[in-house]
Amino acid sequence: MKEIQSWIERLGERRDVIDEKLEKKEIKLPTELVTGIFFLLLGGILLLVMPSQVPVSHTDVVNGRAFPTLLMIIMMICSGIILIKELYNIFVKKLPPITKTINLLVEVKALVILGILLLTYVICRVTNLFVIGAIFCSFGFLIYFRCRKPAYYGITLTVSILIWVAFRFGLNVNF
Amino acid sequence: MLEYIGPALEHLFTIENFVWMNLGVFIGAVFAAIPGLSVILCVILFLPFTYKMTAIPGMMFLLGIYCAGGYGGSVSAILINTPGTPHAAATMMDGHPLSQKGRTKAALKVALYASAFGGVFSALMLLFLGPQVAQVAAQLGTAEYFMVCLFGLTIIAGVSGKSMIKGLIAACLGLLISCIGADPMTSYDRFTFGISRLYLGLDLAICLIGLFALVEILAKSEKKIGQLILDSKRMNDDGKITKDEYKRLIRPTLISSIIGVLVGIVPGTGASEASWFSYDRAKAMSKHKEEFGHGSVEGIAAAESANNAVTGATLIPLLTMGIPGDGTVAIMLSALMINGLNPGLSLFTTQGDIMYAIMIGLIFVNLFMLFQGRFLTQLFAKVVSIPQEILTPIIVLFCFAGAYSVNKNYFDVGVALIFAVIAWLLRKLDMPLIPILLGMVLGNMTETNFRRALFISNGSPMIFVSSIYCIIFVVLTVLAVFTLIRSKMKESKEEEKE
Repeated sequence: MKEIQSWIERLGERRDVIDEKLEKKEIKLPTELVTGIFFLLLGGILLLVMPSQVPVSHTDVVNGRAFPTLLMIIMMICSGIILIKELYNIFVKKLPPITKTINLLVEVKALVILGILLLTYVICRVTNLFVIGAIFCSFGFLIYFRCRKPAYYGITLTVSILIWVAFRFGLNVNF
Repeated sequence: MLEYIGPALEHLFTIENFVWMNLGVFIGAVFAAIPGLSVILCVILFLPFTYKMTAIPGMMFLLGIYCAGGYGGSVSAILINTPGTPHAAATMMDGHPLSQKGRTKAALKVALYASAFGGVFSALMLLFLGPQVAQVAAQLGTAEYFMVCLFGLTIIAGVSGKSMIKGLIAACLGLLISCIGADPMTSYDRFTFGISRLYLGLDLAICLIGLFALVEILAKSEKKIGQLILDSKRMNDDGKITKDEYKRLIRPTLISSIIGVLVGIVPGTGASEASWFSYDRAKAMSKHKEEFGHGSVEGIAAAESANNAVTGATLIPLLTMGIPGDGTVAIMLSALMINGLNPGLSLFTTQGDIMYAIMIGLIFVNLFMLFQGRFLTQLFAKVVSIPQEILTPIIVLFCFAGAYSVNKNYFDVGVALIFAVIAWLLRKLDMPLIPILLGMVLGNMTETNFRRALFISNGSPMIFVSSIYCIIFVVLTVLAVFTLIRSKMKESKEEEKE
């Protein structure tokens, strides 16, 4: 147990060094410009793939493409408004673009969490045993949170198994 | 109505229903008391448990969570100055100052009584107004239904975030997601990209697990983990409320309950809007304005009665027209539909006994909330300090198991993960997520009515202004857009001044 605790501590120390470096790194994301461009492109691409993705019968008065087309047009108009408004503010009003500060440390942490989720998913899928993925997930998060309390490991492990039992035998979910 | 009451009571008064009601109330209060966990998250996580139940116990369980969630959020707001749920923020304004004055139990008691009153009032409104609204809704044709959906989506897009245009984009995205799978009218597959599993479309519950639950796990990266410590000495007061205070509570509680019901009926608005609006009203009408912000019992009562009065009212448009009043009841729609209960007048006629059982059950849910709150508040208070290290993996496992159990395959778990990443990216762009949810819920209904209406009119869009109901909803939509744009412009001008 002590070995595990010291391993978590060493891991924590290493993480502190990386965290310190990343904490200061920030990126300014021009949210309005990105939103405008992204959804304009998304609407355009979906309109382009529509003929291959939505087969229609030419005898229909209103076919299956009508509603999605309407939505994409609304989406593109809205994106255009956001984009034009932002460009007007930048070039005519000489205002700085609306941005959101993205902290690199937060994003890296989010990626680590996503990694734990993906690995849990892969373990569950490969082994077809939810309980193994559940145990990995519990320990993964406890290590992520740098938890050193053995009781927490015990509680989380027990609850993980109980969740599996509840779904497996209570709800007859075979996994 | 009366002919359904007898059979409804027979359906309702079973041990099973009362057990699920109480379990729902308990889980809802516990979840809402923990800062960072929302009622919508709780309903999503426990939705799979209702798949094996019949309509009444399933709905009683979910309504228990929903109603108790309205009260539970106030526990942490009063005790640790951190609202358990967003709509408890208004309660915090006076709840925590009153607690700091050494009257924690009194503050919790006022919150509980006001919540229970608001909830029962709202349930009664649902019971009496629901069937009337359903009768009006029965007169609506396809064009009118499309206009109702449009009105609902406009309000939702307008009030869900800082930018109305971003809200509209999000609503369109939700509607587009609902287009994935078989065409509702021709059964041709759409946007499946060769993935056969997508033919049946994306299951709402699975998408929601990603959009609202797993994304909260990713958001843990933004917060520093620190345990919230509850000072146990703080709950040592006698909790006495004086006669004068009781008298002062009557007016704000009643007015706020009415406000809560009115706000709740409008699709897209929710408990937060109701509680803040009621708080402001109560302050404006109070003879003790100076106490607001410093521990006013009227302030607590106004906020709490309003946010619980929303609960029954949000079910009115849901049960009568299939348009959810807020995000949480949108999820409950799937619990209803899985049992073959489709919103509309038929729900109040052919399945009237079940419907009335659910509506009367809502009154009992609120009474059990009062009962549990009276005796278990100490316990609810303790869960405030459950460590995040333990909670996080438990939520993840519930999400995974819940997503898997819908269709019993891991493909759905993958879909939930993809939606979590999408939600995470959208949050970076300040895009509201609620319009996506409501777009997904309303997608099928909006499209089907849109196409049917155009089919009837042989492609002429004039059908959408052809009846008095259509014109009413066109006017309402235009008015809503105009009001929303005006209020947003006012807000941005005020921000510029600051």
